[in-house]
Amino acid sequence: MLRRERWQQVPPGMRDLLPGESSRARRVSDRILSQMQRWGYREVVTPTMEYFDTLIRGEGTEAGDRLFKLVDRGGELLALRPEMTTSVARLITTHLRGHPLPFRVAYAGQVFRGSETGSGRLREFPQVGCELIGAGTLEADAEIVALAVEALEASGTQGCSISLGHVGFLQGMLAGLALPDEGAREVRAFLYQKDFVGLRAILDRYGIPATRADALSQLPVLSGPGAIHDARRLAGTAESERVLGDLEDLMKRLAAYGVGDIVRVDLSIIRDFEYYTGIVFEGHTSALGYPLLGGGRYDRLLEGFGAAYPATGFAVRVDRVLASSGPGESTWTPDVAVTFADGARVEALRLASALRERDLSVTVEILGRPWDEVAREAIAAGVPRVILVAGARAVVRETRGRERSMTVADLLELP
Amino acid sequence: MSSLTVAVASGRLLEDSMRTLEAAGYLPADAWQSTRRLILPCVDRTVRVLVAKPADLLTYVEHGAADLGIAGKDMLLEQGRDVYELVDLGFGACRGVVAFPEERAAAWETLSPIRIATKYPRATERYFWSKGRSVEIIELNGTVELAPQVGLADGILDLVMSGRTLSENHLVEVAEVFRSTARLVVNRVSLRTRAEAVQTVVERLRTAAAARSRSSA
Repeated sequence: MLRRERWQQVPPGMRDLLPGESSRARRVSDRILSQMQRWGYREVVTPTMEYFDTLIRGEGTEAGDRLFKLVDRGGELLALRPEMTTSVARLITTHLRGHPLPFRVAYAGQVFRGSETGSGRLREFPQVGCELIGAGTLEADAEIVALAVEALEASGTQGCSISLGHVGFLQGMLAGLALPDEGAREVRAFLYQKDFVGLRAILDRYGIPATRADALSQLPVLSGPGAIHDARRLAGTAESERVLGDLEDLMKRLAAYGVGDIVRVDLSIIRDFEYYTGIVFEGHTSALGYPLLGGGRYDRLLEGFGAAYPATGFAVRVDRVLASSGPGESTWTPDVAVTFADGARVEALRLASALRERDLSVTVEILGRPWDEVAREAIAAGVPRVILVAGARAVVRETRGRERSMTVADLLELP
Repeated sequence: MSSLTVAVASGRLLEDSMRTLEAAGYLPADAWQSTRRLILPCVDRTVRVLVAKPADLLTYVEHGAADLGIAGKDMLLEQGRDVYELVDLGFGACRGVVAFPEERAAAWETLSPIRIATKYPRATERYFWSKGRSVEIIELNGTVELAPQVGLADGILDLVMSGRTLSENHLVEVAEVFRSTARLVVNRVSLRTRAEAVQTVVERLRTAAAARSRSSA
């Protein structure tokens, strides 16, 4: 086997997108962003790098490991953004302080994770997301969840669904257990790892009554139409009860948006308890084993930036949306290749320009090769249409069918 | 609706996994023994079973290539994958232990730096880190117990069932790092997008495993 030199490779978890794949990625991203803009979310662009101190405010305890770090000339620690919400929080609190609330903000860009390696995990991937800042109402949550549904639909994803939970339900249940701090930490760790076997063992070790322990072990099945009803029997604390009431209210609001059948209550959604303060949700399609989208309410984040605005939002993983639709084809060829006979260069350029105005991708021969060679190679490479311009007339060769001769004017009328 | 895929690990968990699937009514008796196929269709076609290498099993489930899987806790601890671990199936009990050659076992706590051969580099690192010890890990894919005898490592961290392999190789256990049994794991998206079908399989396997462990006890 040929030895691959370092300079021929890309770092682990990073990748090239070839033509075709890259245009699909851009299209998905553009469609989602446009949908957000139709809902009044205005796009912002933030730098790829931020100060480590900025990002650490938004990332909670594991941030240090997760960040891609760099050292600036002055010795300052910088990091590549691992997601965009923190940067948006910084932007809002520094540029838009004092403006009337709420802010509706959208973004699209690459994000970076320093630590994720192995089993095909990417360390750089594209996200498109939005944040609704300065509104703590259920109506704001409803808007964000409804927009999440529309974002997935706009992305072209088939058979998508949103699972909607709330961190307060689990937190209420945990508070009801009255565990010592150490125990509560351990229980959370097992929940994050989704290890319900270990969770049960630790609850038993702390002498939690079986009925309570059973209730927590039921968590993975607390989803679907009966979830709120079932959860009421298990809730145990006023906080959990209140949260279930909110979710019920929210589902009614979502029904009015016409997305009630795509969103399902799922109290087993476990996302960072430190970061999220209210609803949490994920978007799925059965075609992919990973969530396509994630989000929720994070009312504490902006406080860290000196403005205690409540906020809610989500981000879509564009790479996963593409993966869920299966592999496409990469294509390096234009829609049309134009070449010209002696003396017809100006007409050829004019034709190319007219075709480009119709949104076709068009190349013009620059190697001065004879017509037959140009046509044969282009067709073999997969160009659907090759044109030879000779004054006011042109010869057209297509993938299938014979060569035709027509006027340049007629050519512009071809489908 | 297409069938659910359950991934089963070849090797030491294979027989008990298949027997549990039989007891749950998904596989005809002994069907798995008479074939070398890697994908087995099941009795009622609601489920199909695929056979994977133990180290690869969680990859199938994490990526959603399998909706459910039967994995050793040792692999879950080592690989730290993003899957739901729902049921302790009880079989395949074994322990992860640190073992040293008899003549050096007494001194193992003072050796520094310490070289450990293992199939479980992450679990090894975590264990020695939690003890505040620096460790040099030598990752091997099999016959780990050979390493101390030929000077490749000072000791090993490996799975033991009866302890016979250790004694045959003049090794003695000095510390237990983890206990392992077979666990039923589920892909996080399958748990949601195919909730009812997944729950049915989980409950049938839970019941079958509990019944089998009662009858063998």
